[in-house]
Amino acid sequence: MTQKKLSKKAIPYLFILPWIIGFLVFTIGPLIFSLIMSFFDWPLAADPEFVGFGNYIEMFTSDKQFSKSLVISLKYAAIFVPLNMIIALFLAMLITQPVKGVKVFRTIFYIPTVISGVAVSILWGWILNGDYGVLNYLLSLLGIEGPKWLVDPAWAILAVIIASAFGVGSMMLIFYTDIKNIPIDVYEAATIDGASPARQFFSITLPIITPTILFNLITSIISSFQQVTLVMLLTGGGPLKSTYFYGLYTYNNAFKHHKLGYASANAWVMFIIILVLTALVFKSSSAWVFYETEAGGVAKKGKKAKKGGKRA
Amino acid sequence: MKKKLVAMLVLAMTGTMFLSACGSDGGGKTSDGKAKIRFASWDEAEDVDAQQAAVDKFNEAHDDIEVTLEAYGGEFDTKIAAGMGSNDMPDVMYMWNYPAYAQGLEPLDSYIEKEGEDYKSNFYDTLWNYNSYDGSTYGIPIGFTTHALFYNKDIFAEAGIDEPDNDWTWDDVIEASKTITEKCEGKKGFSFQMKPDPYDYEMYLWSNGTAYVDADGGLDGNLNSDKAKEVFQMFQDMEKDGYAAATEKSGTDEFRAGSTGMYVYGSWSINTLKEDGVNFGVVNIPSFGGQDSISILSSSGISMSKNSKNKEAAWEFIKFWTSEEMNKERIGMELPVLYSVVESEGIMEQPEYAPFYTMLEQSSDYTPASFIYDGWSELSESLSLSFERVFNPSAMENVSDVLDEAAQQ
Repeated sequence: MTQKKLSKKAIPYLFILPWIIGFLVFTIGPLIFSLIMSFFDWPLAADPEFVGFGNYIEMFTSDKQFSKSLVISLKYAAIFVPLNMIIALFLAMLITQPVKGVKVFRTIFYIPTVISGVAVSILWGWILNGDYGVLNYLLSLLGIEGPKWLVDPAWAILAVIIASAFGVGSMMLIFYTDIKNIPIDVYEAATIDGASPARQFFSITLPIITPTILFNLITSIISSFQQVTLVMLLTGGGPLKSTYFYGLYTYNNAFKHHKLGYASANAWVMFIIILVLTALVFKSSSAWVFYETEAGGVAKKGKKAKKGGKRA
Repeated sequence: MKKKLVAMLVLAMTGTMFLSACGSDGGGKTSDGKAKIRFASWDEAEDVDAQQAAVDKFNEAHDDIEVTLEAYGGEFDTKIAAGMGSNDMPDVMYMWNYPAYAQGLEPLDSYIEKEGEDYKSNFYDTLWNYNSYDGSTYGIPIGFTTHALFYNKDIFAEAGIDEPDNDWTWDDVIEASKTITEKCEGKKGFSFQMKPDPYDYEMYLWSNGTAYVDADGGLDGNLNSDKAKEVFQMFQDMEKDGYAAATEKSGTDEFRAGSTGMYVYGSWSINTLKEDGVNFGVVNIPSFGGQDSISILSSSGISMSKNSKNKEAAWEFIKFWTSEEMNKERIGMELPVLYSVVESEGIMEQPEYAPFYTMLEQSSDYTPASFIYDGWSELSESLSLSFERVFNPSAMENVSDVLDEAAQQ
């Protein structure tokens, strides 16, 4: 009897064992290891030396690039996250419209997501080239002289943001599936009541998808802090270090300057920052995210979510 | 109780992981007793195919050694760095950044000595400088490129001026650039990189009789010497006056497109330019007047891990890879590094390649700051920013101020 019970309990674990092993070996293990490394002066070929909080102290007191890169990354996140979400939501709304050939558009919007980051960087390197780039050519047709995107430090971060927004497809798809799940009768009722499409969007669609907005908000905050491929290949952190993102700073400390311990400390500081930001978003979510299972009255939920919808 | 069990399981598993990470791969022998050699290359695509073919050839000729090629491509440095960190380096690998990796490499001087004097002297002398660190040789030269001045013959014809020759000075370049920019609509006479790699750029300082650092690694009075400032000022003036374009990348794209008349670059672009049908010529880097011009070397060598379990076999393979036969095989991918091959293949008679060898011979007594200065990779990053402040058109800061500031670190 007990044996049967035990095996009944153990079998599910057996099924997820491959994943658990992968998680332990490739995620938790390195995670713990990097925490240990962050307390060492860990050069590549020589023996590591314990320095306590030395790496963290150096970061906050003597390394000017640390705060500079942090500010650059925060700036990037502050612009990229809302912009990306608005574009994703806009595209998701477009592809939910009952138009002929919508499937084709859905594919077109999603395709950039499948392209590897390296290819995207090379592609945008050409598009954004100040002298030969397609973008500046198009602007010149409108009579605008485009900036030297990748040369002028004032424009470079915007160039990176534009190029990153190229990969909006997966977030769009998440919004899309959620919007598709909204029962049609809600809209029918609203139409009968005389609500305009805009009103329907703000009073029905937006409140219902707030959990998805929350999810997308958090994942895109995280991924914006981790952005490194694009700046590494598109701008190399330049011009004049204006796109020297925190991720690139960490990467260079590790693999260019071979300060593995210091880079681990960098990574942990980033982890804590992301953790705090995520916690703040979660904390605020009770004010603006609506879960259907917790529903009160319909009117109440509309109001509540509407307020939050603007904030999101 | 259950929680305890899970915790123990976690600990046990992470424990195994660390142990296995430190473990070895069992003596470096294959199952049939051959010495196993892992060889890491940074090449990509069809170059790797050619290398695999060469490796197969070596394996066929050796009953007791089996070499496996590992093509790391663009991730080469990261993977070597990671391998070194975890004691899991390939036995034999391509190498260029000796100051960074020397600690993990086997000094090869005693191996070279055993091969006799002729072995070593068949390599161009300058190359040994670049494959050594701190008095020991860590790599056998595979290929190199120096830099030279590329010029577009059609543009010179259009402007109606004489083509550059090996005795040109920078004054000649400025003069010609002026004429080209004025006479050829939408073209610039010369182009140089807006964000030059500090490693490469030191060649201009050498050519003007100075360097980034002195023998002890001191920057002040060298990087910001009058002669150094003169060099930067000259390039900045050409850009300011509109005769030269500061390019975002190497300048090859602009040169291919026929929008610049001249630029200084390595032999890397020759194949591309030929394929494009650009009508170009190559001459030595212009001099500053007083002395011969000097070029930086971008050199590649082949090195052995100091932890290799089969050092004799690894050396056997290195010898094969650096032999005359393999030097000939690699022509088209690399410039040959052996006197005998350069002679037998008549490389010096090819006008587009000869200047690279002249520059090689002219540059024998110079050691880049990366081999002298401790912590070069960080210095390089900060120099790169300083240079960009001088050459980026949206910055164009005062040369003297920037260099004085850069020298105070």
